[in-house]
Amino acid sequence: MSLVIHRSGTVDRQRQPVARALSVVTSRLWWLCPAFLGLMALWAIFPDFFAPMEPGAMNPRHRLLGPFDTSPEGRHLAGTGTLGADLFSEMVAGARLTLFIAVVATAIGTVVGVLIGMLAGYFQGWVDRFLMRLTEAQTAMPMFLVAILLLSMLGPSVTILIIVLPALVWPIFARVVRAETMRVRESTYIEAAVATGCATPTVLVRHVLPNVTPRILVLVVIEVGHVMLAEAGLSFLGVGVQPPDTTWGLLISTGRPLLTVAWWLTILPGVLLGVTVLCLNLLARRFETRAGAAG
Amino acid sequence: MTLRNDVSSDTAPAAPLDTSDDSSPSVTGGVPDPSAGVGDAPEPPDTTSDPVRGRMAWAAQTSIPGIVLRRVRDGVITLFLVIAVIFTLTDLVGDPALVYAPVDASAEEIARIERAFGLDRPFPERFVDYFTNIVQGDFGRSYWQNRPALDAVLEALPSTIMLTLAGIVGAALFGVGAGVLAGARPNSRFDKISNFFSVSALSVPNFWLGLLLIFVFAVRLGWFPTSGKFGWSSIVLPAVTIAIVHGGRIYLLVRSATVEEMSKPYVRVARSKGLSSNRVLRRHVLRNTGLTTATITGWEYVRMWGGAVFAIEYVFAWPGIGTLMINAADRQDFFVLQTAVIIAGAFVIVSNLVIDLMYRAIDRRIGAA
Repeated sequence: MSLVIHRSGTVDRQRQPVARALSVVTSRLWWLCPAFLGLMALWAIFPDFFAPMEPGAMNPRHRLLGPFDTSPEGRHLAGTGTLGADLFSEMVAGARLTLFIAVVATAIGTVVGVLIGMLAGYFQGWVDRFLMRLTEAQTAMPMFLVAILLLSMLGPSVTILIIVLPALVWPIFARVVRAETMRVRESTYIEAAVATGCATPTVLVRHVLPNVTPRILVLVVIEVGHVMLAEAGLSFLGVGVQPPDTTWGLLISTGRPLLTVAWWLTILPGVLLGVTVLCLNLLARRFETRAGAAG
Repeated sequence: MTLRNDVSSDTAPAAPLDTSDDSSPSVTGGVPDPSAGVGDAPEPPDTTSDPVRGRMAWAAQTSIPGIVLRRVRDGVITLFLVIAVIFTLTDLVGDPALVYAPVDASAEEIARIERAFGLDRPFPERFVDYFTNIVQGDFGRSYWQNRPALDAVLEALPSTIMLTLAGIVGAALFGVGAGVLAGARPNSRFDKISNFFSVSALSVPNFWLGLLLIFVFAVRLGWFPTSGKFGWSSIVLPAVTIAIVHGGRIYLLVRSATVEEMSKPYVRVARSKGLSSNRVLRRHVLRNTGLTTATITGWEYVRMWGGAVFAIEYVFAWPGIGTLMINAADRQDFFVLQTAVIIAGAFVIVSNLVIDLMYRAIDRRIGAA
């Protein structure tokens, strides 16, 4: 819009080159996000290829070396821990479980949420009211605390984590898909499908689902990031992934007591996790604005 | 409007309606039945066809006390559902007898402990028992602290409330201030930079952000204590951590609300009359987005109770619900865990209720005619 607040026109004109340069950089460099995510996926699939050392291998002579240490013992890109294990190798090794849990848990949450949302939006009436009341009750629950409760009672494990984490995401999918379905079901092509004798499951899968999918995809990208952060939080609190398995959240947790002497053990895994989630969020925003511009 | 609906599904007139004042007995009359009032309440005829007219019709048919009572009843039902779900889940996954029993206890000994605690009775009986006890204020005993679990939780609650309030004030200052400035001039340099920062704030793990602040401001600079709760200075770092994380989302929502408002015709009219754009922003736009902003902040406060706060508490050893829960989890203290979740859930429900009613009180178009 042309409605820009400025005290004088000249100030505004002077600023424009900077803003333009910034937008050129951000729009030209957006491919860095998928590239980074792709690299993380490669880390997860081929950790041995990317890890310079065996993750967790102890080396008493290399204890607590900082990142880019130039001493002969150096060659540790991200520094080492108390027992001399190479942090970079551990971060590479942590990628697999971090991404696996986030993707699988989000997939389960998506399926449950989409199913509930489609049923509620398509049938309306008491089905809708019952399912939405369920969704509402779930949103009133402090889910993070419920997750701590369940994980501490069941004993923390990756399997339990994958069962509990979807509970954090399905209500969002249910609400969005319900609204979209209610919009779609009024269209004439649904009416036509019903009139030609399509069975309800066919209508839902063949006609409603494809039209709801774009919104779901954007949401999936965002929610993978959310789940990743939630998993990191639970692992950090000691009720998530347990050693010898490792994720980035767990690495932050193990580094925490050494924050004053070896900051890299805490800060660097967090940077890695933050950049990954940031890439997911920026990508989702780009999809959204693209979809908005197209439609 | 679209934004408002995104933030709160509650304000949409989808809730079942009671046109009579009979809803009051279900609030006071003993155990509420979750199914009652959900399915059989009469709906006004035109709710589905036209949301605006449906909303107005609903407003015309209900008195203010009726609305308040209905919201309270909904809250009570939700709370009952929360308690039922928590009890069922804990019952499914854990056996408290195993915690009390020694490691090498035989099957008979465990069975004896179960009998002593009444754990061998059928599930419905135990649930009714548990529920009546809760209504009477008995949430079970913490065997770690050897006192009622409720006492332990209520002792931690004020610290959490204090921290969340300090956090939401900071988040609103960051988020609303930057959001209005950025939304008033979209695509400006300030807009782009703050967009990036807010998305980053939402992307980093909140507990990690807390550790980063501890490292910089407590370990390196020594301005604030690293953890604990001693005097005013110890609340600064945890509150700032919360403010950054939640301020990011408030910023994004307030910004898009401001952008939307700035594109409305009346703004162009005001500008073409010759009003300075600062004046348009202050006199017209801010007043119109004020309600949305207040609602966004309110919902963000409720959202805070969904998670972020508790991990941050643990990082800063802040003696609130989160820290209590982690310590209780380490000691397998089920009653404290259960009680903490239920009390936090109750707090969320009450906050929801208060925000919803305040919203209705401010914006008379929504309900209270």
